[in-house]
Amino acid sequence: MSPVKRGNTLPIYNRVGVLRAERKMSRAQLAELIEVNPQTVGALERGDHYPSLDLAMRICDVFDLPVEAVFSRQELGPLSAELFRREKNA
Amino acid sequence: MNTSDSNVLTRYQAYRTRRFIENDAKTRHWLPKWRTQRRRRMLAIAVAATLIILLIISICSLFLEWVPIAWFPATALFLVLWTMLQTVSGRHSDAPTGALDEWEVQQRNEARSIGLTITQGTVLAAIVPLIFLSTTIDNENLAYAGASWTLTALLAGICSPAMILAWITPDPDPEDL
Repeated sequence: MSPVKRGNTLPIYNRVGVLRAERKMSRAQLAELIEVNPQTVGALERGDHYPSLDLAMRICDVFDLPVEAVFSRQELGPLSAELFRREKNA
Repeated sequence: MNTSDSNVLTRYQAYRTRRFIENDAKTRHWLPKWRTQRRRRMLAIAVAATLIILLIISICSLFLEWVPIAWFPATALFLVLWTMLQTVSGRHSDAPTGALDEWEVQQRNEARSIGLTITQGTVLAAIVPLIFLSTTIDNENLAYAGASWTLTALLAGICSPAMILAWITPDPDPEDL
């Protein structure tokens, strides 16, 4: 996990694993595209490492998504549920 | 630091990175059965054990004149184990920044930070008794013995980042291979 010099450590959740699986991409393939070791992709997916802004933007470029679609301060639910959620009160 | 100095440093770092990557390409498939976390931990323990043996030899050389001969086999064993440990852990502990990604750099820096603390502690622990003994006892072997245990203390500090990285780095996920 990236060191935080001051203040409380705030979590950063990500959808890297889901997006990678959705595109049938192996960790090694994603690692090659973003120029890191496959184990680093594993660490990102497990939440053991918070990426730098540069790495986060490289990941977003691969998936062609904005940063907020891949990374969030709040725990991320399934992408399909967010896109196609039925309004219960409607 | 002026621009010229900065360029020399940048060129030297680029040279180091290039050499490291070339060397890594040669050695990354060596000792494949020793690359599991369990085997890496065994090597780290073995290196620590040889350092303890070197320390015992250096202390004994204060009293027994023939003991320094034991340095040769112990050093040979240490060099073999140390080379194996460095090979199977990809020499990440002394890799240039350009050869590692950001997670590897972060882990390396944390291991080096602990290594610096270990170096300071062990070298201090080696030198203080040497200063004390040099004022209290008259032993002609003291200089040799003191130099030996200070060298052992320094080696412990030098080796510790690689030992830490070998210990904490998990086995690669089957999906990563």
